Amino acid sequence: MAIPHPRDIQVAVVDWLDERYPFTKAVDEALYQRVPNFANAFYYCFGGMVFILIVFQLLTGILLALYYVPDASGNPAPAYTSVQFIQNTVYLGWLIRGVHFWSANILIVMVLIHMARVYWTGSYRAPRELNWMVGVLMLLIVLTLSLTGYLLPWDTKAYFATEVTIKIAGSAPPAQLGAFIKEILQGGPVVGPPTLLRFFTLHVFVLPALIVLLMYVHFRFIRAHGISEPL
Amino acid sequence: MNEKPIEKEGPGAAVAAPVREVEIGDLDGHVGHTLEPDWKRLPIGPDHILYPVLVGLALFPILMGDAGHHLADDMPDEETHPFFPDHFWPYPIIAVVMLIAVGLLSAFVQKNLQLEASADPRAVTIPRPDWYFLFLFQFLKLGPELIMSLVIPPIVVVGLLIWPFIDGIAGPRLARRLGWKRWPVPGRNIITGTGWILFLGFIVFLTLWALAGPNFCLPYLTGPVCGA
Repeated sequence: MAIPHPRDIQVAVVDWLDERYPFTKAVDEALYQRVPNFANAFYYCFGGMVFILIVFQLLTGILLALYYVPDASGNPAPAYTSVQFIQNTVYLGWLIRGVHFWSANILIVMVLIHMARVYWTGSYRAPRELNWMVGVLMLLIVLTLSLTGYLLPWDTKAYFATEVTIKIAGSAPPAQLGAFIKEILQGGPVVGPPTLLRFFTLHVFVLPALIVLLMYVHFRFIRAHGISEPL
Repeated sequence: MNEKPIEKEGPGAAVAAPVREVEIGDLDGHVGHTLEPDWKRLPIGPDHILYPVLVGLALFPILMGDAGHHLADDMPDEETHPFFPDHFWPYPIIAVVMLIAVGLLSAFVQKNLQLEASADPRAVTIPRPDWYFLFLFQFLKLGPELIMSLVIPPIVVVGLLIWPFIDGIAGPRLARRLGWKRWPVPGRNIITGTGWILFLGFIVFLTLWALAGPNFCLPYLTGPVCGA
């Protein structure tokens, strides 16, 4: 029996998929749909740049998680020494951590610029109100990711900055609610190992899952509504 | 070897196929998208070795669901262009440029990445947040802590969240009262446009004030409040 040419196998696979789903049509519709020329303006790229930076964050975050130890017991704590290990010993660890750090900083700037553009051009108006709301929620998640990520190296500045943040959150009235929020965030009477573990869980599991979900919703809305008109 | 000829249309064909509109009638019930005509597309069909790459690129928009009726569907051809490759190509370049930029920052601006001493609750230090929260840190100093930390910021966040509705309901009423014909978008609106610039300017001002440090005080503006 002759060995089929890879091209024929590919065509057969595509045919098989086409019989079950309008596969080639869907690919054509996705790739060759027309886009208004005004969407080529540089300020329409800001959202794409935010997406690219979030992808950088997710990829470098996974690599950092291979070596990071979320344990704050002892002095120096394993969390602190593991970050030092990443920075000084792991092959290209300094680069991965650097890309994660700088992408996070640039991400905040880009999210704000993107949001400012959307506001300025009135792209939040009907029918895009919900997408604006999703975007504001994503901004809050990005800020919370930065806040929780700030504690993870477990050095002095991270420790005290987090202590102040928790103190502010814990001063919410009435006193019982404030104490409850503080207890939830801190996990004990002072900022310590349980706090780090909570921040780590939020930073690595909860918030990335939320932001990926909201990004999906955001893109679905964009796809449904199309690109908004310029000024 | 299977020698079955594969029919091709497009730039490789001897006679160019006529322009036609492809209607996606059976895709989630939506009809009427104007697609790039076959003869103008890249000659990469299901039989081409690069077709899996195109499928990979298409997966993202496919997963994002059905495209609604867009502005481009009603625009003349010369005012539109296809998503791939015309609209798509800058993004891989932007991604590479950004990766190089953050890589260079990582290599040459090491100062920000260096750790301080391991956390010690007994250490004496002035707490200071990262730059993106400096404005909030400075804002807290401008009034009673409860109001500045737990009343105003949530109001601003909720206001931002429901802004489209505020703008959509209050805006036209205000325009009518002012005798305006319509309520323009902020970029052309003296009220919401100026308000936005002042809001952003205030945040930048607070950030710079905090960055200026504890010796930078504005007694004639806010009394004894100094930078962070």
